[in-house]
Amino acid sequence: MNNEFNAKQRTTWIAIGVGIVVLCLCVIVVAWAGQSVWNSLRDRRSTTTGPEGWDSATAEVTVAVSPGMASTLAKLAEQFNAQARKAPDGSLMLVRTVSVVPEKMIEQSLANPPFQAIAPDSSLWLNQLDRRWAEQYGASEGETLIPIGNRRFGDPVRYAASPVVIAAWESVARGLGWPDRDIGWKDIQQKATADATFKWNHPSTGHASGLLATLAEFYAGAGLTRGLTEEAATAQTTLDYVRAVEATVRFYGEGEDVIVQRLAAEGRNFLDAFVAQEQVVIAWNQAQSGERLVAIYPAEGTLWADHPLALLELGMPGEAPITDNQRRTYQAFVAYLTSPEVQQQLLSVGYRPADLGVALDGTGSPFTGDAVDWRQPQTTLQIPSASVVEVVQNVWWYTKRPTNVYLVVDTSGSMEGDKIALTRTALRSFVDQIRGDRDKVGLVTFASSVYVERPLQALDDAGRTALYTAIERLSASGNTALIDGVWEAYSRLMIEGNPESINAIVVMTDGQENSSGQSLSAMQRRIRQEGEMQIVIFTIAFGSDADEKLMRSMAEIGGGQYRRADETDIEDLYKIISTYF
Amino acid sequence: MERTRWIFIGILVVVLLIIGISVVARIVTGGNSPEETELVLVAPDTIMVRVLTALPVEPWVRDAAAAYNATNPTLDGVPIKVEITAMDGLTALGRWDRNDFGALEAGKTLENLTETEKAALKDFPTVWIPDSRYLVELANASYKERLGRDVFLTDGEYRARPIAISLFTWGIYESRAAVLEQRFGGVSWNIIHDAAVAKGGWPELGGDPSWGFFKLVVPNPNKNAGGLTAMVAAAGEYYKRTDISVADFTDPQFQAWLRELMGSVTDFSSASAYTAEDFALFGYSVGDGGQLLESDLLQNMQGILTRWDDPLKIYYPQYVTWFEFPFTIWVGPETSALEKNAALEFQRFLLSDEQQKAALAYGLRPTNPNVPLDATPESLFVKWKDRGVEMVVPRSDAMRNPDREVLLALLRWFQLNVAE
Repeated sequence: MNNEFNAKQRTTWIAIGVGIVVLCLCVIVVAWAGQSVWNSLRDRRSTTTGPEGWDSATAEVTVAVSPGMASTLAKLAEQFNAQARKAPDGSLMLVRTVSVVPEKMIEQSLANPPFQAIAPDSSLWLNQLDRRWAEQYGASEGETLIPIGNRRFGDPVRYAASPVVIAAWESVARGLGWPDRDIGWKDIQQKATADATFKWNHPSTGHASGLLATLAEFYAGAGLTRGLTEEAATAQTTLDYVRAVEATVRFYGEGEDVIVQRLAAEGRNFLDAFVAQEQVVIAWNQAQSGERLVAIYPAEGTLWADHPLALLELGMPGEAPITDNQRRTYQAFVAYLTSPEVQQQLLSVGYRPADLGVALDGTGSPFTGDAVDWRQPQTTLQIPSASVVEVVQNVWWYTKRPTNVYLVVDTSGSMEGDKIALTRTALRSFVDQIRGDRDKVGLVTFASSVYVERPLQALDDAGRTALYTAIERLSASGNTALIDGVWEAYSRLMIEGNPESINAIVVMTDGQENSSGQSLSAMQRRIRQEGEMQIVIFTIAFGSDADEKLMRSMAEIGGGQYRRADETDIEDLYKIISTYF
Repeated sequence: MERTRWIFIGILVVVLLIIGISVVARIVTGGNSPEETELVLVAPDTIMVRVLTALPVEPWVRDAAAAYNATNPTLDGVPIKVEITAMDGLTALGRWDRNDFGALEAGKTLENLTETEKAALKDFPTVWIPDSRYLVELANASYKERLGRDVFLTDGEYRARPIAISLFTWGIYESRAAVLEQRFGGVSWNIIHDAAVAKGGWPELGGDPSWGFFKLVVPNPNKNAGGLTAMVAAAGEYYKRTDISVADFTDPQFQAWLRELMGSVTDFSSASAYTAEDFALFGYSVGDGGQLLESDLLQNMQGILTRWDDPLKIYYPQYVTWFEFPFTIWVGPETSALEKNAALEFQRFLLSDEQQKAALAYGLRPTNPNVPLDATPESLFVKWKDRGVEMVVPRSDAMRNPDREVLLALLRWFQLNVAE
């Protein structure tokens, strides 16, 4: 009995002992497996999170290019793509280009840009990007030893350069003393203020050439040739001088490429001189017959459009990072652009190649004539710091030639739905771009009849708010009294406008004229008869049903421009047109 | 059967089930642990030596790496491949300082890392060739605060070794140099300062009116380590001393003098990291002359002659500064022993007679004493002798490298007084 009890007890203890050992074993195995599962989940989590953007293996790179270089770089990208180069994993290397105004390029580069590399016309813009990036993400004092290296873009490369010059017809240049004496910014400014018939132009400050021309005015106004400070740029005497010079500018606009298009369309008398890259002079003389353009290298100094190309270092929270393949494509494209063949191509279209082995005075070089001079420029204007440049850009709005512009908008039934909604956004963007304190904007709509939603008024806080409210209230119904709408705006500008200002109408329609009392021929007669105050008419055909012929004719008789737009670019187009004011 | 036995059998079944499920889970997750990976020492297919190199020596080092890779080098039977990344020394220092390359925190080892974290180290530099040894010391100082140890050794087997030398020299367009010589009898920081502040510009100095004002070329310190070195050299000449302190830099009179000097730089904002290339591409229009690296000037001499109507002339300053480009191996756990030893192999290759001779074609002065400056016909010291380049540097005073505080004071001064 006792033995039986002891045997039972022993069995129980053995069972408990075995159970404990097995349980320990079990714990070890579970921990061993659990760690593996945890590691696996952790790795999976860290590899699957991240923003949506592009395929992680993509070898496609989109380059934002300033408009003046856009067609050349697009052609070179096409040649590069034709080589069908492949990344090590077999992905096809592709480069696409998109034309973007430098100022907008920098704005977009700050967050989630629709491109991976940028090619503005000047390093000035990269400097501005650096400054704005540092303001947003720069390390604060004490956080870092060396406040260098945290940049939005990698080391830029240059593939071409071209100095900014004053492009003038040869007869005009000779009248100014070319080629026997040095001609400066001051000569042009004096000529423009003294001679009312002298027509000159520079692009807006969103382009390197426009920015340079403006800086030159500020330097001259401040009586300096270097060391421009914020105080000097904003002194009243400087502002008065710049305002007087800017009053002589015929119009502003998108950039030198558009100026050249208009010169080709409207002929020799359109402008006497304009500010552009030296390359524009060469390209014009290569393509056009008749009187040639010559490059005047300003005596006080100029600026280089040095055409940098840089890869953005994307990958901020919410942003897809640049892929290894995209880096490879970018590097391959850079190598292609700087190759001897491409450098020769760039020379042939009038750029100074970045490859210093390419001589400018060699046989067949476009620099061999006297319209341009490869020994020039002798000196450059001192570029102030990025903060002073920004001040000049901002102050320019208060010195530039003032604008009176009527927005004439189609609100007929066909505009109902997305179109009218997009139009509201586009009009708001247009108004946002107009920043001058002396600029005035009015709003006229047309459907079966014409409505003056807002008369011409200055864009102070109250005026801006009233205009935004009117835009918000726009709705669509009825027919299309297009010509009557323009007629009304024209009549009002004749009364409310000012010959010293840029007076303009921007008219948009998506349909066919079918309800006006006035006709296009009557409009044309009126403009001829009352033409002492020039009113420029810009026309926008919105969508495929718009009366393109009428809009084109109206722009022609109004001395303006005709543009097409659709739902995807109507806002951008309004923004572009705003640069003319 | 007794109840106890049923319980015992039940426990066994449960335990076996748990073990079975765990083993299956382990197999499904593919789970070899980091410890296991380390226990089994697997030789890599290729030993990658990733070299972060300063810009002035990058073309030479890149060509040398291609030549080295072409010899199919191996270490312990494993092929070595050298990869080059160009980065300005100060920019790299900023990146080390911010730990952009992802060095492990103190106490962390490769064994504790996930596969993703390990993958992030795949591009970690094996070697850094900065412009100057003082940059290495600054990086070490930064990591000492963070990790409590140096990450680049200055002595022993892995110590930093200079691979080439380049001096800072004056490069002035000949027509402008002739006017300065005529007017002042030479070229120095004080003479350049006097030229820079001449109110009437070049006409006042006896030069051509179309040249405008005197325009100095100095690298932008935010993009090129040479910018700070130029300011140190200028300070040396101002004080007529080789050792410059923070107090010297904060002296108001000196700051006013330096501000006037820097005020004659036409465009810091558009200056790239490759200042001598800018100097050649934009010619005398952006700069009449400046103090730049001898090797950079020599490399761009042909381009200047091809592109511009005026050759460049070289002058040697009294207070001389230089870069010695130390080949510096990262000693932390982020790179393997094989990679470190392979880096040493590449270092030996760079210091070989053949590669040191090749450096002459880039205008670099060899550190290998067996190689004279005229050792090859391609030597730029031979080619540009008539442009003023000297094989033996004229008698001069060597400036001491700036310490951390001086460097920071200079950067801050530049940021506040020039950049902004």
